[in-house]
Amino acid sequence: MNRISDAIVDLHKMDMEAGKCGWLQGIHPLPKLFVTLIFILLTVSFGKYDLPGVLKMGIYLIILFVLGDISVKLLLKRMKAVLLLVCLVGIANPFFDREVMFRLGTVTVTGGMVSAVTLMFKGIFAVSASYLLMVTTSMEDICYALRKMHMPKMFVTVLMLVYRYMILFLKEIQRMTDAYTLRAPGQKGVHYKVWGTMVGQLLLRSMDRAQNVYDSMTLRGYNGEFHLRCKKRAGGSDYLYVFVWSMVLVCVRMI
Amino acid sequence: MSILEIEDLSFTYGSLRNKAGNHVLSNLNLHMEDGESVGLIGENGAGKSTLLKLLTGLLDMQEGKVLVSEFEMKKENLNKIRTVIGYVFQDSDSQLFMSTVYEDVAFAPRNYGKSEEEIYEAAMSALKKVHMEDKKDRQIYRLSGGEKKLAAIATVLSVGVKLMLLDEPSVALDPKNRRNLIRILNELPGAKLIASHDLDFVYDTCERVVLLSDGKITADGEAKKILTDKELLEQHGLELPLSFSRKISF
Repeated sequence: MNRISDAIVDLHKMDMEAGKCGWLQGIHPLPKLFVTLIFILLTVSFGKYDLPGVLKMGIYLIILFVLGDISVKLLLKRMKAVLLLVCLVGIANPFFDREVMFRLGTVTVTGGMVSAVTLMFKGIFAVSASYLLMVTTSMEDICYALRKMHMPKMFVTVLMLVYRYMILFLKEIQRMTDAYTLRAPGQKGVHYKVWGTMVGQLLLRSMDRAQNVYDSMTLRGYNGEFHLRCKKRAGGSDYLYVFVWSMVLVCVRMI
Repeated sequence: MSILEIEDLSFTYGSLRNKAGNHVLSNLNLHMEDGESVGLIGENGAGKSTLLKLLTGLLDMQEGKVLVSEFEMKKENLNKIRTVIGYVFQDSDSQLFMSTVYEDVAFAPRNYGKSEEEIYEAAMSALKKVHMEDKKDRQIYRLSGGEKKLAAIATVLSVGVKLMLLDEPSVALDPKNRRNLIRILNELPGAKLIASHDLDFVYDTCERVVLLSDGKITADGEAKKILTDKELLEQHGLELPLSFSRKISF
């Protein structure tokens, strides 16, 4: 299997995991989205040298990953590109901020080093929290919760369509690369001479495919808005979830 | 009662317009009764898909008149027309874009502002008609080709359409799924216009056949009569259905 089909399978698997019958999946999407946003906001609110504070926020992720039986290995595999990117965000800090903060034996730790690691953890935690939300909540439910939080209709519609079209787009890439590979044995990847043609073809084919999907939607009464509804009803346990996590996260932030 | 009335329908694509002899459809007339199953046959480029797209309003009318149920094909009537007429795409992947079967089947009733109870009822009734009620929570990507086709039909049925347009419904189906689709289509009560090159499939599902050639209807009549007319079919780039050709050769 190539990387594209892996990506398609991963997207489908994430959809499937979100539809499972676990306790975390059973929580109403609105509380889950709300708590995720609080977690991300509080995590990024720490100062650039407050590494211990940021690390303490990890308790949220540890508890939910364990209780929700979510694989960390899969998180690392699926989000490796994004995680790598967030790890690189603060890479230049040690060169600009050379103020000595403390010494670890013979190693001098500068402010730039601490701020780089802090930034890295902030990014990792934010990505992990978003991943946690995605594997426990379907895209329809996330979009429903976003609308409930008064996120603009246009934004939610675009998010929903991007998610759906992404799979079609990946499938189109897969078809084209498969056809290419079968006629270019022994070649690694796509030769740079055909990149232009491939991208042009991909654009045309994707547009054609997207037009068909859009036609199918308009034929079924779509007029620019997804009428999202949630199957679950918010109950006592959902309110408790929000209350407990809000308290815990605020307390961790304050200590 | 008439469900579809087409009078002098002509259509040309973009730049070809105004050039003599380049009509995709030319002065086409067709009448369909409620509950009738009509097979639309013809070689590639005969105008079958264009006709289906015109009937659903995916292409804008140029000349002629189309009446679907009591509504005339006009922009302002499109919403009403699309509750009467349903289009099943050749490629089911284009039709199914939500995460689960139920979500996809419920998409149309939801857009028409129905209550959650009505949506559930409409979706489940549509799924029952195609014998897919036990697969309602299944992820779309986990469906087989045959199941995808049935789910695509259910997405159209959930609106309660009276006329279903099917574009090459038997393409890429194995014999078992093909037989299953034939059985289910024959069980469905509404009118059907089935565009297909699979003449055996057309014979098994339609009582009437319309032969389209160069944008015109060249034959219209009883399925058996047209599908056994070897000369007529060969004149228009088609061949006898396998079931008939076998009988003749034996």
